[in-house]
Amino acid sequence: MFQKIDNYRWLIPKSYKQGMRIEGLVYADEEMIKHIEKDQTKDQVANVATLPGLVGRSLAMPDAHQGYGFCIGGVAAADINEGIVSAGGVGFDINCGVRLLTTPYVESEVKSKLEQLLNQLFRDIPCGTGKSGMLEVTKTELENVLNNGASWAVEHGYGKPEDLTHIEEYGKIPGADAQRVSKRAKERGHDQLGTLGSGNHFLEVQIITEIYDEETARNFGIYKNQIAVLIHSGSRGLGHQVCTDYLDTMQDAMKKYGISVIDRQLACVPIKSKEGQDYLSAMAAAANFAFANRQMITHWTREAFQRILGNGDLKIVYDVCHNIAKFEEHEVEGKKKRVLVHRKGATRAFPKNHTALPKVLQEYGQPVLIPGSMGTCSYVLVGTEQAMIETFGSCCHGAGRAMSRHAAKRDTSPDELIKELKNKGILVRTQSKSGLTEEKPDAYKNVSEVVEVVHNAGIAKKVAKLLPIAVMKG
Amino acid sequence: MKTGFIILEHPADIGIEAYGKNLKEAFEQSAVALISFILDASKIDSTELKSIEIFASDHEQLLVKWLSEILFLYDGENFVTNSFEIEKLTSKYLKAKVKGEKFNNCKHPTKLDVKAITYHQIIVEENEHGGLIRVYLDI
Repeated sequence: MFQKIDNYRWLIPKSYKQGMRIEGLVYADEEMIKHIEKDQTKDQVANVATLPGLVGRSLAMPDAHQGYGFCIGGVAAADINEGIVSAGGVGFDINCGVRLLTTPYVESEVKSKLEQLLNQLFRDIPCGTGKSGMLEVTKTELENVLNNGASWAVEHGYGKPEDLTHIEEYGKIPGADAQRVSKRAKERGHDQLGTLGSGNHFLEVQIITEIYDEETARNFGIYKNQIAVLIHSGSRGLGHQVCTDYLDTMQDAMKKYGISVIDRQLACVPIKSKEGQDYLSAMAAAANFAFANRQMITHWTREAFQRILGNGDLKIVYDVCHNIAKFEEHEVEGKKKRVLVHRKGATRAFPKNHTALPKVLQEYGQPVLIPGSMGTCSYVLVGTEQAMIETFGSCCHGAGRAMSRHAAKRDTSPDELIKELKNKGILVRTQSKSGLTEEKPDAYKNVSEVVEVVHNAGIAKKVAKLLPIAVMKG
Repeated sequence: MKTGFIILEHPADIGIEAYGKNLKEAFEQSAVALISFILDASKIDSTELKSIEIFASDHEQLLVKWLSEILFLYDGENFVTNSFEIEKLTSKYLKAKVKGEKFNNCKHPTKLDVKAITYHQIIVEENEHGGLIRVYLDI
């Protein structure tokens, strides 16, 4: 029983479920809301609304689908004095995120060497299941990665200092403490640094096919027919283990703080508690691992372009986290308030003049990167004031799954899919053919429809559309 | 009840329903299922033995910790397992022997990365028909 507010906003009133302390709000169009009603998304948005100390509304973006505890595409902000932090509200893949690089090339300059380029990228960037990193860092070095993020990578020759300006939080979340990351998490992560991973993670060579906002696109360094590279990866086994560890810690500690939750995956503790502070330090460290990871992948991408095409001067448009909890200032009931914003499968979308943005982006706003499913388009958007008013400066993070992995595999053979993509002009290299079919384009919602909702709702504005020409998947 | 497992569908991830003539067997089957998602367990030789001991506050936490342990052996210690024997099981304690060998990239091609074990719609039950487990994995 959603209450329609307008064509893109659907309210879940507090009366929907016992224990809801705040309302829920889902961004979707008429068709999407029908789809969203089919799984447990609505209940999960309502369940989040029962957690103590949340402010505003429990939100779900148009790419929302059923997750664990929180839905994917969920946003919830907690008062820093009264509120909670939930490890499940960030998710297992801490700082899973997306980075967009622009190249000095246009389509016609790349086409004849595209296959060679894709092969080089596939050779140079470890991907796929399990462990395949090119370097194994020592314990001390790993601690430096966790504490310093992308700047560790730059200091070690992976990229340039100016890259850091174009990363959310400048590639280093404040408050990270490697000591709060368990030995187990470090063991899972120490040989996975600089790896793309598997599942929905990818690297795509894309063409900018449409520009919707010339001025902003120019400011972002984007123009029509330009070749770009989109990287989607996260904190690998290290981040997964940090979440596993702290879910456990939070489950045990909740009783002490008199907190009970509807769904165990929502386990949470007060932000100010020792367990809460420890988690936030460990989460920041795992997020830094992911920033370093994407920075290293960027470096190898530049090398591959240099080797095959002669120019490796690729610039970072931006790098956004989509599984994270961040301390930010937002207006709540007319007052400026510091809150902890959980974004689980949601992207920060700050408007122009926001002080968290580097000077070069303040005039236009933050680039918001929305990857589509494999073989479909991706988008660059820009953050808006409206997002600050309604969504704690957040918007969607991708297409959002529409079909189970099993169902996706059942309907299509990997070879058919590769052929289908080739017919569309898209080259594919993958470590796992069966993994490829799980990620086939129609296993996801239509990303253009998702983006249309956030654009029309005004929580981000379209800047450019990109189409893939080469895909590398784990 | 027979012994075995089935795969449950989830919009983004994957679930396991494992069963056995008692809860011990269901726990063992849940580990068999987990490993079967990651790689081909028939390629693993059971040459090395490891003992596992887990303490938890209830059955559900025990299950999540048990499967997280099997996942960690693979992802953290490079040890792949295909034989699981639960020696002792209460609602708060588990003792098991697992067998397997050192992970070898060539011998053990992997199929899927499992990120973690979740509490989503988790079920751990035992009745006169046997033991039943339902658990979802984050992929």
